[in-house]
Amino acid sequence: MKKMLPESELARDERFVRTNIEDRIFDPRGPRIAQRDTGPARMGVDRPAAGERSRSLMHGIFVGEIQALEGAGRTCYDFDDEAAPFQLKLDMARQCWDESRHCEISVKLGDHMGTEIGEYTESTFLFAAACNPDPVLRLCGVNRALEGLAIDVFNSMKNFGNESGDPILEFCEDWMLADEVTHVKMGSDWLRRLTATDPERRERALEFQRTVDAIFNLGGFRGEDDENPIQLARDFRRLAGFTDDENDSLAALARESTEQAREMAEAATAALQTSAQGS
Amino acid sequence: MTAITVTPNPFTLVPYDVAEIISLLEEAAALAGIPSGVDIALTVDEELFAPLTGHMSDVVDGRVVLWISGGNFEDNKRPCRFSAAQARVDLSVMMLRAKDRLSEDFAAAPLDAQLLRGERAAWDTYAAGRARRRGIDVRRPRQLYDFRLQHGFTNVADAAFERCWQAERVTWQGIREICKETGAADRGPSKVPVDLLRRK
Repeated sequence: MKKMLPESELARDERFVRTNIEDRIFDPRGPRIAQRDTGPARMGVDRPAAGERSRSLMHGIFVGEIQALEGAGRTCYDFDDEAAPFQLKLDMARQCWDESRHCEISVKLGDHMGTEIGEYTESTFLFAAACNPDPVLRLCGVNRALEGLAIDVFNSMKNFGNESGDPILEFCEDWMLADEVTHVKMGSDWLRRLTATDPERRERALEFQRTVDAIFNLGGFRGEDDENPIQLARDFRRLAGFTDDENDSLAALARESTEQAREMAEAATAALQTSAQGS
Repeated sequence: MTAITVTPNPFTLVPYDVAEIISLLEEAAALAGIPSGVDIALTVDEELFAPLTGHMSDVVDGRVVLWISGGNFEDNKRPCRFSAAQARVDLSVMMLRAKDRLSEDFAAAPLDAQLLRGERAAWDTYAAGRARRRGIDVRRPRQLYDFRLQHGFTNVADAAFERCWQAERVTWQGIREICKETGAADRGPSKVPVDLLRRK
């Protein structure tokens, strides 16, 4: 079996359609929408298209779970026992079990919300974080950045379930959230153990995590304001081993990403207006 | 003779074809039984993309006035591309609601921009159920979830959904009674305007 599988070779059946994140970034409608008030991005029954936005996000969570399963599975296989101790692989195997269950729960939640597998496109940028050839960097990318994002997403979904009075969504998300806290903790523990005598490697790993975190903040997707669909879950992140400094730093990064997205939208709108005046 | 207009014409941000949309509108109008001679005007907001979806059906001075997000027509699997299958579903539901507005049964109904979210969810369900029975590929679980978001995840709400879905005739008064029954009427007006996406 091949080691270090690139994201282009992930196996999917004919229901799945892959899209590039660039498709959305270069969509000519993006800058125009960024200038309009489309209501609070934060999930709520009062916001426009609440059902459709929830279904779309649920499908995104589902494909994210598949990729998290694939990432943890690859870590069990890609490295020898010297690079990645057997106990680490046991943790990854346990995570695979959890992620498989999350995939099944997400499919059922999709049914509950009225969507189906493959209804929306899949972006594989989550798996890209699981392709790093250094197991420590990969753990930081997957178990701290990606699974940290999962904590934020599940907590936001759980709150939406609570607000909308949907006990199925609320409880399912709560149970998955508990698993994600464990996964982040595994990442934090192994980061400490594997880099105990190599501070430079630890710093490289944390830098990689910051890069992945910045990608996940893209366009203000995550943050602490109403304009961020996914809210930073500080309390659960603390339980998972993130320090307050790390949470503050992530919040600052999220604000920066939101501001950058706004500036990009303004620049694109100005360019569109100039182009319209010239034509 | 019915005049059908689509705005914009042509589309400039997405490759949607006006002739194809008019053809689907004619099909939906026939399905809903819109009388000949009633003019139809559809505005598509081509700036909006999925999942920023929504649509509105009003009757103004005897004309059917429709508004829809471009996201409703967008193929979920191919961004920016038109999906005739998705358009057929939404246009059928919109046209059935417009037909309701042309009847005495809904004469007292306010414009779509003034409806409560619960009222709208119940009315959509009534239209979607009829569209389904006329052979349109409406998905019941999707409609049920949208109904529950506004009426609650309760047995009372589910029973009300079933009545709306199965009904061949409901009046505006009936929609309001359903909202009272599920408690949706007590939620009051939405904090976020229901026609926010329509505002530029």
